[in-house]
Amino acid sequence: MRSSVARLLVVGAGLAFAAACEIEKAAIPPGPKFLALHGVLSASAPTQAILLERTRNGSLRPVAPSFELESPLGSDSGIAESGATISLVTPAGERLFAIEDNIGGGPRGEGVYRFYLPGASLERNLPYRLEVRTRDGEVLSAETSVPGGAPALVADSMGFDRSTDALVITWPRSPGARSYFVRVESPLGPRAFFTSDTTVRLPGDLRNVDLDELPHLFIPGFPQAITVSAVDSNYYDWFRTHADPLSGRGLVDRVEGGLGVFGSIVRLRLYDLDVTAPQPEPIAGTFDLVGPPEDTEIQRYTRLDLYVESHAARSDQPDALSGRAVRRVTFFDPGCPLCGVLGSVHDGKVELQFLSGWSASDTADTFTGELRGDTIVGNFQIARGVAHFLKRR
Amino acid sequence: MSARRQLAIAAILVAIVSARLAAQDTGAIAGRVVLRADTAAPARGAVVSIAGTALADTTNADGRFLLAPLGSGQRTLRVRLPGWRTAERIVLVRAGDTARVDVVLRPDVQLLETVRTNARFFADSVTDAPALSTLSLDAAAIAGVPAVGEPDVVRLVQLLPGVVSRNDFNTGLIVRGGEADQNLVLLDGFPLYNPFHLGGLFSTFMDATVGGLELLTGAFPARYGDRLSSVLAVRSAEEHRPGLHTTADLSALGATARFAGAFDDGAGTWSVAGRRTYADAAQRIFTNDVFPYHFHDLQAHATYALRGGVRLALTAYEGRDVLDADLAAFQSDSVFSKSSRGRWKFDWGNQLLGVAATKDFGDRVTLEQRLSTTAFSTNLNLGDGAFAQRSEVRELRASGSLRLRGDVHEPSLGYELAAQRLRYASGSSATQTTDVDLVQRPVSAALWLDDVWHLTPRLTVEGGLRGETQSARHWAALSPRASLRVEATPLLALTAGVGRITQTMHSLAGDGALRYFDIWLASDSFVPVATAWHYVAGAERRVRNAGLVRVEGYVKHYDRVLEANLSDDPQRRGDEFLPASGLSYGADLLARWQPDSGVSGWVAYSYGVSERTRDGTTWSPGSDRRHDLEVVARWQLAKYRVGARFGFATGTPYTPIVGGVTRRAYDPSTDRWGTGDPEIVIESLGASYNSARFPPNHRLDLDVSRDFLVRGATVTPYLGLANAYNAHNVFVYLYSYSTDLPTRRAISQFPILPSAGVRVAF
Repeated sequence: MRSSVARLLVVGAGLAFAAACEIEKAAIPPGPKFLALHGVLSASAPTQAILLERTRNGSLRPVAPSFELESPLGSDSGIAESGATISLVTPAGERLFAIEDNIGGGPRGEGVYRFYLPGASLERNLPYRLEVRTRDGEVLSAETSVPGGAPALVADSMGFDRSTDALVITWPRSPGARSYFVRVESPLGPRAFFTSDTTVRLPGDLRNVDLDELPHLFIPGFPQAITVSAVDSNYYDWFRTHADPLSGRGLVDRVEGGLGVFGSIVRLRLYDLDVTAPQPEPIAGTFDLVGPPEDTEIQRYTRLDLYVESHAARSDQPDALSGRAVRRVTFFDPGCPLCGVLGSVHDGKVELQFLSGWSASDTADTFTGELRGDTIVGNFQIARGVAHFLKRR
Repeated sequence: MSARRQLAIAAILVAIVSARLAAQDTGAIAGRVVLRADTAAPARGAVVSIAGTALADTTNADGRFLLAPLGSGQRTLRVRLPGWRTAERIVLVRAGDTARVDVVLRPDVQLLETVRTNARFFADSVTDAPALSTLSLDAAAIAGVPAVGEPDVVRLVQLLPGVVSRNDFNTGLIVRGGEADQNLVLLDGFPLYNPFHLGGLFSTFMDATVGGLELLTGAFPARYGDRLSSVLAVRSAEEHRPGLHTTADLSALGATARFAGAFDDGAGTWSVAGRRTYADAAQRIFTNDVFPYHFHDLQAHATYALRGGVRLALTAYEGRDVLDADLAAFQSDSVFSKSSRGRWKFDWGNQLLGVAATKDFGDRVTLEQRLSTTAFSTNLNLGDGAFAQRSEVRELRASGSLRLRGDVHEPSLGYELAAQRLRYASGSSATQTTDVDLVQRPVSAALWLDDVWHLTPRLTVEGGLRGETQSARHWAALSPRASLRVEATPLLALTAGVGRITQTMHSLAGDGALRYFDIWLASDSFVPVATAWHYVAGAERRVRNAGLVRVEGYVKHYDRVLEANLSDDPQRRGDEFLPASGLSYGADLLARWQPDSGVSGWVAYSYGVSERTRDGTTWSPGSDRRHDLEVVARWQLAKYRVGARFGFATGTPYTPIVGGVTRRAYDPSTDRWGTGDPEIVIESLGASYNSARFPPNHRLDLDVSRDFLVRGATVTPYLGLANAYNAHNVFVYLYSYSTDLPTRRAISQFPILPSAGVRVAF
């Protein structure tokens, strides 16, 4: 209950910090370094991955190059703890050893340890014990039990008109589950929450309260995954709590010898939505790249599906756009064949961000142009020439 | 019996013996001032003085006053009240006796509001009770005391001994080592649950509506209960002049207006007042940007004295802070549209309606009956129902008392009966999920007995017993209270007191540096009742009638105090609070000087030590400020009234942050760690809780004002300067461990803050 009270203080904190100002900035000695563990046993995963890193204490500058799923620590400001021995003691007493992903000793995959243990073989509601020994001899341990319930292995795919649809998801109670974790992927960042109920309604106009700006959760033109998972108490307590930024109190973990979580998750529901919306505005619709071959062949994007994501609240501000683009994929230019687009339009002036995938955090190219009748005309920042996109009738 | 209790009893015995040994060569004058003989309407706020001396008192709500000590002989008693003719009486004062005087005032033709130039800060006690740990402030005291943005009487409370504030942004009152939710705040005797705006920067009490306030910091009489640390009783101003009288105040923050007057030849008074901040409106006029916050107050107060000695009083209040931010309407400063942003709606406020009826049966018996309803609520709505949180407390309260005034005993018997409804709900109407929806309906009752016993003319003992019960906890308890006052010499009084206090209402606001309002929960089968014992002993010495020095030592032992649990589980009841034991002790000093002219002011020094213990671990709460010195002065410089306040205080505890842990996200849709979310969440790792202290704070505030008489109106422009020399007082430290050179940034409290305004009264 108290954790949600913290939301009420956010505004006030902002006002206080706005009225205050920085009066001193001083270097301080590095603090102690702790081991931090993020591990989950998932009933739907082909392998079980454990992340082992060091807490930030000011002795190293964490780096964050472009995010790579294969290197979730090294590419995301982590301080990987490599070379540790990690074992998992099964309920039957069998000891399994994890293998670190950094094959060949490179930085990629450092700190990512993997048990080649399919989720389907996990025993339910029985204790699994994780034991970690670092190269320096530090020891860390934790224990979890995987809740019951049949894992959803294949996604239910469906269209979802944001303006009219609401997705109602129900699921059976899962023996041993402490709570249920609902997560909706979104280009601006996911929305995740716990519920003790066994049903949830996700209307198309839902806002994402996990982000300060409260954007819409469902963005037209984007594919968005939704999961409902049964979780154990370790997962629930670690992810529902936060540390008070001024005192460091409040975070609940049950890892001995370090910090973090070793929890369990059973994905009970998996949906893959193709989010759409009506396209009555002149800027909304499907646009095809047109023009003589010498102009079109140099362009990477051949088709646009655009939506007015939000109309402007003020006349001096632009409408927000979203959508998707069909992209030429070649041997030399791999990547997504269908990518997300975000942008804006104001008084016929169009600005579009072409994403590297479906996340707003990674832009591949930027387009600036204008809407002339039923044609969008403009230039990409990277690609040469003028691009014309003609609206389909 | 603990050593502390033995010490307290020994102190009381010593004081009694001292009193009996003391000489009896002074007397006193006590009495009552009324506006009309037929209705006996009390003249509240009349200044009663002895001609030729600086000894003076202000009448209380019943019109009563007390002047003591006085040397024996003939004295001229003078009574002044704006709008009424000054009355004088010759009174014979006998050694060891209290002369009783009743005064009836007559209307005057003078209708201008009195200028506050030489208003006294403190009103002396108007009862014969020991009144230890009690301070009374006149409303007029606010004039000339530096303010931050807006004159605020409650800000003055923070400058009193025994009271400390956590920081400039957190004005929860910390009284003698207590917590901010342990203060009972009363408006005309009716409770308000969270009387602050803008996170506590300003109180809900408009300057013009406040007639005075009384602060009790320990060992309260039995009539007060359910808050462990203090009682802050604010009373409404009453306008005794006939006709319509208006006060308007335009400050840097907002605009206030009050209309008031008397009617039926002074039998009744009325006032209505309102205030609203205008930064949001000003922003709209001058820019395209949005400032989505304002607060407002509305207050009404009326009194009427019926024939037959029945007096009626009504108080109504409504106030609300509103933050309604359509984030999409904020000015866009980038090429990317903000149109997709959602809406923050957040409002909180109080409502109060209370009536009181008082009847005197002769001069010695008073019967009072009170009925009130009060509410405090907060509503947060993010993204049109995507997340909503609601907290409210509603209370219906009936209380009454029967007071007898004898020559030796002044017994009182009273009751309180309160039915409350509390709701704390959090969830999403959009997703039809509920995190928590807790409703409590406790009924609490109290029966109290109190007696002020004048053992000798110099020794007064007040004893009381408060029996309390609460339905949700199935709890009942008896809380004894005792205090005494010994006039050891004509100028020296000794006081002591002890009492057990309980609290069944608790706040989830926690011990953080920021505290904006309380979210209340009642004791029930999961939440225990908090209890504390107060032990107080002190001495008070008058200095040539205009001055007074008071020293009080205290020990406050918490058998149980509740701390909000930062990790509580919304899906589980009973873990909202973590009980701890606690101990606070210290000493307060007040030296005040308030002559009829010249420099007046006070020096308040508070020394306090506070600690909490749970599971063998002891820590200092975040409000534990060991030394706090406040110097307040006001003087007349030619035609200008100048006020100054200087404060120096040692730092409060804080927890150093020693590092951070990155919270990794697991994406169940892909069964992979890490999703490439734009923001990485770093959780702070703290060292031992409150194991360090901020540097000392110091601050000088200045205020200058001048009264002009313009066409029958008093116009008072004022200028203020808070933190005049821009002291760099630390509010919080922010740490960064994201580089290989960790840093700590100090964030300031108030920088230098000028303010200006004008008050018009006619």
